[in-house]
Amino acid sequence: MGIPYARAIDAWRAAAPAAPQACALAVPELLRGFHPDHRPGGMRVLRAGASAGSPCPAELADLLQADSPLEDVDIAGAPMLETDVLVIGGGGAGCVAALTAARAGARVLLATKLRIGDSNTVMAEGGIQAAVGAEDSLQRHFEDTLRAGHFAADKALVAALVSDGPDAIRWLIQEGMSFDLAEGAQRMGGTLLRKTPGGASAARLLSYRDFTGLELMRALREATLLQPGIVTLDRHPAVELLTDDRGRCAGAALQDLGRGRTVLVRSGATVLATGGSGRLHVAGFPTSNHYGATADGLVLAYRLGAPLREVDSFQYHPTGIAWPRHLEGALVSEAARSSGAALVNALGHRFVEELRPRDVVAAAILREIAEGRGVERDGCTGVFLDTPSLEQATPGILGRSLVTLTHLARRAGIDAAAEPLLVRPTLHYQNGGVAIDPACRTVVPGLLCAGEVTGGLHGRNRMMGNALLELVAFGRRAGASAAADARGERPRNVGLTHLADWRRALIVQGLPLGRKAPVIFPAYGNFDIAPARGRAA
Amino acid sequence: MADISTLAEPVRFVFDGHAIETGVRTSLLQAWVGAGLPLTENVGCMGQGVCGACRVLVRRAGERLACTALACETLAEPGMQVSFLDHFPASRPHAYDLRALTDSWTAIDRIDAVFPEAKNCRHCSGCDRACPKGIEVQRMVNLAAAGQALAAADLFDHCVMCNLCVAACPEHIDPAHLGQFVRRMTASLTLRPSDLIMRLHEIEEGRQPIDPDAPGANPLVAP
Ligand SMILES: Cc1cc2nc3c(=O)[nH]c(=O)nc-3n(C[C@H](O)[C@H](O)[C@H](O)COP(=O)(O)OP(=O)(O)OC[C@H]3O[C@@H](n4cnc5c(N)ncnc54)[C@H](O)[C@@H]3O)c2cc1C
Ligand code: SF4
Ligand code: SF4
Ligand code: FES
Repeated sequence: MGIPYARAIDAWRAAAPAAPQACALAVPELLRGFHPDHRPGGMRVLRAGASAGSPCPAELADLLQADSPLEDVDIAGAPMLETDVLVIGGGGAGCVAALTAARAGARVLLATKLRIGDSNTVMAEGGIQAAVGAEDSLQRHFEDTLRAGHFAADKALVAALVSDGPDAIRWLIQEGMSFDLAEGAQRMGGTLLRKTPGGASAARLLSYRDFTGLELMRALREATLLQPGIVTLDRHPAVELLTDDRGRCAGAALQDLGRGRTVLVRSGATVLATGGSGRLHVAGFPTSNHYGATADGLVLAYRLGAPLREVDSFQYHPTGIAWPRHLEGALVSEAARSSGAALVNALGHRFVEELRPRDVVAAAILREIAEGRGVERDGCTGVFLDTPSLEQATPGILGRSLVTLTHLARRAGIDAAAEPLLVRPTLHYQNGGVAIDPACRTVVPGLLCAGEVTGGLHGRNRMMGNALLELVAFGRRAGASAAADARGERPRNVGLTHLADWRRALIVQGLPLGRKAPVIFPAYGNFDIAPARGRAA
Repeated sequence: MADISTLAEPVRFVFDGHAIETGVRTSLLQAWVGAGLPLTENVGCMGQGVCGACRVLVRRAGERLACTALACETLAEPGMQVSFLDHFPASRPHAYDLRALTDSWTAIDRIDAVFPEAKNCRHCSGCDRACPKGIEVQRMVNLAAAGQALAAADLFDHCVMCNLCVAACPEHIDPAHLGQFVRRMTASLTLRPSDLIMRLHEIEEGRQPIDPDAPGANPLVAP
């Protein structure tokens, strides 16, 4: 496929540092030819449900058009918990929503699949966007986000995101999160360190080292665990939502993995914050996502009648590890490219401006590989991320601010200051999701969504740093709306009535009832939710 | 430690009582799922080494003592014995509310009020040995107990909250949570960026309007 490593490394050495080079192909042709969203035969048209008629990747369509693992008998006699607000998902968005709802006076139950905090949020590296620079503005952030998303985003959601930005940062500091300061700046009255995310017109990315998500999640997890009024349930994934006789979302059926039994939760309002779907390995790609990212929230909301949007659009992060195989898919943060690391093909040439939007850079890398200019090592193919030239230009940068990258290189068995990393695109983010309004409400009364599970904010491509801002901004909005909604009428006659309609719809379309979803864990996790009910995992 | 990268043979080792055979350069977590065993806990980031969920106890061939490690960051080696460690949530009798901590003169006293056990550290270094990230946990505990909040907070920069030090500490000091407390406290009490504050003022005063119809907010139309 590619050019052998030994030859490629010689070419790299001879040319380093390689001169900048723009991509010769125009963006539309590049995307159409090489972005995985456009691969022939990859999409299927949804036939059942609120978004019938829309294209959707085959891997996801199978789950969206599957049957529930639950039957009426499974919930008869199951223990029932009561709460004002049920939050499903213990990542960033879930914790923010839970904190906000509890502080607004609601009793909150937070149920999560793994342990609270084990999520995509804790893995975020590069940073969080907020327009705080003097030369920057909310308007610029607004326009950059729309442009990066190819103008497919909902303007009302984007406006909500960017205008909440600065206050979201203040909120995070109040919760005890640290941020990097500009070189030599004082903690009191200094300025924040700002980097330029790909596709932005101003330096707007705030960070904490290159483990921004870890710093954020550590603070939020402690805050959530200590907040009076929040009960947390680890190892309790939601397997179905509950409805009442008026079609209102009335809570959820959780699977208690430790005891192998179903637990029902009746709630005045339910917030889905289950994150993304990288572990579906769409188009056969490796992923940067955490183990629990299996699109459960999309499946649950869709079955209840909530339309989805832009679910045919995924983000492939340009720089996942391509070699060694045991680290395949692991993320090399965009911080490396923001700091000046170049992408170099097996001929020693640069081939794209590294800070173009991610879909463009990813497609450019896939093109190099497809056209035989990739680097091949032990059967893995990628291109070089030239960390040695970066270290040479900015001595000490790897050890000082690209800590995670340096650690990753060490685990790959290489010294990033001497040898370039081998990278290729990795499935990173689900650009679309459940349609919401700026208060995080879906069309289903009582059901709210926040974070990566939602759609409409990023259009067809997300900018770096907007997902962390999203989970704070919309987590707070969802928590406030949920607390308010929970004060309304309580759900009555709670059950699974929606499933009868759903099964009828599947049958009408000739879709099989044998397939069950959500899957909870990826197939290689050797766990199947349907037969596992009634057994401890 | 054997240089496993040169081994051509499959790696055989024992994980939670299961005899497992795997290839070289396979993480313990990958070897577990590769052996067909169900993975429904003790996992999160799956290899980035940041979530601290995959705690294991590892004894290498020929070594007498077992040590703690993260299963996603540790490669399987021949003859290893490995077992998952349960997650030990710290039981914290002394909750604190960061937002109620408004008087910075008394902030340092709060360390003792919330973590009174910290001053009882026996210097046994159980925590240091338990930490898979090489953090100087004991030194952090001692600095925090002495009120040196910023210095203590810095030492905990890389903590992934695996809670192994919590499990190791005979004095129930909950070092990880003490570390997180001092980190959160110093950030919330001392971080006041001027650019952020100025922008918040502008927003409050209506000087940062958003115009959805601005040319830059819409696709270019061909003339
Ligand atoms: C490696 C990596 C790096 C990233 N870097 C950045 C960055 O620098 N900047 C940026 O802005 N964004 C970044 N992102 C994206 C960002 O981290 C995520 O989009 C964001 O954290 C999503 O937050 P969330 O709360 O919506 O979902 P998550 O944080 O993923 O949380 C979802 C939670 O729901 C749980 N869950 C799932 N299904 C169920 C169920 N059925 N029942 C109960 N619980 C369930 C999960 O276990 C998890 O705890 C990165 C993502 C990754 C993977
Ligand atoms: S300090 Fe404690 S919680 Fe943090 S990484 Fe080390 S052992 Fe784990
Ligand atoms: S384990 Fe506890 S008592 Fe021992 S050194 Fe660490 S903090 Fe002190
Ligand atoms: S799975 Fe996250 S640290 Fe190992």
